[in-house]
Amino acid sequence: MKMIVKARGIKKSYRMSRKNIVHALRGVDINVAAGDFSAIIGPSGCGKSTLMHILGLLDRPDAGTLEIDGENMSRLSDKKAYKIRARKIGFIFQGFNLIPTLTALENVVLAGKYGGLGKNERLERARELLDMLGLENRVDHKPNELSGGQQQRVAIARALINNPSIILADEPTGELDTKTSMEIMEILKRLNKEEGKTFLIVTHNMDVANACKKRIKLVDGKNA
Amino acid sequence: MIEIFRNMWRRKFRTFLTIFGIVIGIFAFTVMGSMALKLNKMIDGGKKYVTGQISISPKGASSFGGAATGTLPIDTMNKISEIEGVDHVAAMASLLVSDPDPDNAEMNFGNPPTIYGADNQSDFKNRNWETMDMREGKMLDKNSKDDEVTVGINIATDKKLHVGDIFNIRGRDFKVVGITEKTMTGPDDYVFMNITPAREMLIASNPFMKSLYDSGKLKLEDVNSMAGVSWKDGADSEKVAAEIKDKFGKDVTVMSPVKMGEMIDKASATFNAIILGSAMLALIVGLFSIVNTMVMSISERTKEIGIKKAIGASPRSIAFEYTMEAGVIGLAGGAIGMGLGVLAATIVNNKMAEKGAEIFLIEPSFLVAVIVFSFVIGVVAGIIPAVRAAKLKVVESIREL
Repeated sequence: MKMIVKARGIKKSYRMSRKNIVHALRGVDINVAAGDFSAIIGPSGCGKSTLMHILGLLDRPDAGTLEIDGENMSRLSDKKAYKIRARKIGFIFQGFNLIPTLTALENVVLAGKYGGLGKNERLERARELLDMLGLENRVDHKPNELSGGQQQRVAIARALINNPSIILADEPTGELDTKTSMEIMEILKRLNKEEGKTFLIVTHNMDVANACKKRIKLVDGKNA
Repeated sequence: MIEIFRNMWRRKFRTFLTIFGIVIGIFAFTVMGSMALKLNKMIDGGKKYVTGQISISPKGASSFGGAATGTLPIDTMNKISEIEGVDHVAAMASLLVSDPDPDNAEMNFGNPPTIYGADNQSDFKNRNWETMDMREGKMLDKNSKDDEVTVGINIATDKKLHVGDIFNIRGRDFKVVGITEKTMTGPDDYVFMNITPAREMLIASNPFMKSLYDSGKLKLEDVNSMAGVSWKDGADSEKVAAEIKDKFGKDVTVMSPVKMGEMIDKASATFNAIILGSAMLALIVGLFSIVNTMVMSISERTKEIGIKKAIGASPRSIAFEYTMEAGVIGLAGGAIGMGLGVLAATIVNNKMAEKGAEIFLIEPSFLVAVIVFSFVIGVVAGIIPAVRAAKLKVVESIREL
């Protein structure tokens, strides 16, 4: 099975003041294979989000090695990181985080632009994805005209447009009610099952964690 | 591009205030710049004329003619014409078309209407300025009579004169035989006539001269407010001027072409610096208002910048987006400011045109430069905030999520 993410001994600490150093990650190992549908679980402050940022190339580890799609990311410059982020990694955030001035369609198209898709290609693909997610009547709506569940579906379409190797979801149902949360989880599961998409979901919601095929538990910045 | 407008629209009032700041700056720049262009054109016309001859005036008189506080005797002029290298010497008598009225003084841009009495019998020729384009009729020549005048376009417009009309100047009637084409320079405000009537009017305008003339101590041909000296082909104008100065320096002021050119350049440089400097000041204030707006809008949009970077935006595309937004603010302010500036200048010009004294010269190339400049100002103002946006750490901006 092809490994999408292979992280070994990831450490990360933050210096809050001269004497206060927070060790967020103390040597985490993680493997994500193609087609996985895994959850990272653990209590608040266990380092879930920090790990997510490092795996998503939004932050750098102090120590350890990280491979994505077989490529060593440990010495990746910031200038190259954005290209990998655009093409190989899809993000779904807790607060949806769509650009408020752009319509649903434009939000998805923008990610396609960053991923290097041609003008027609990204427009066509964005429409396809929004259709697939049941938003065909909402393409021209701005985020503030959409419900939480609809916004998160736009965010899913945005994460999918560049056909990334892995989709990182940080508490994707954190701001949704139980019913909508389960709808979103169903969508993610369907994408995993039918389209073979690889997901790594950070959550402290056990219902969400139980809906995943695998669970990776962190406690105090280490694998539990 | 659409996103840039939407972002500007998000904070309508703030965008309006910023654009307004640029509008004021560019308005000032357009108006002042058009005024500088007009004055430069006038100055250039004057420069072309004075550098085409050696100008001689009586000691103590203004080098640009006008009020005659002294005269240039014909004897002196004859002697000057004998100096080596001198081709011809032509006398000239000038005075204002009407005496200024101290009870009804008005601010005047450019030249006041001036009588230019030239010795049309002379073979003197200014090297840079031989003839004038005519709107109507003809320029005076050797055959012109003493009661004929050719009128500058500004005076003709002001007094509604046409060829064949009678123009009363200082109580004397003159027949208009020509009206010059617009030059945007001094001659637009001249009345050209033969030197004799000009001399007579000059005497009549000055009680002291009149008493000398009446008592026979002053001859008509000695009443000259200025003279132009042309030099022979191959002669060095500066050497000729130095020679005249050497021999007649006690009686006359000699202005060599080079010296006059330098003097005019210096005056116009100072003038341009004052005009454009004040306009630049207004623009710099506008520039800082864009910087301020962009810094504020970036700190408001930190989260969005974080999202964009997370989903793969390059630092360069972030920087470009904000720089362009600042550029568009500059461009919008520039277009409105320039429009208002042109409108104001046109209104004032139309008003002044009745008196033939336009003070603005609106040149399309200058307007294009103003628009480009306003965009560049915006871009320059946007660079620092944009680079700051591009350098934002993704994780730090994401934490605001």
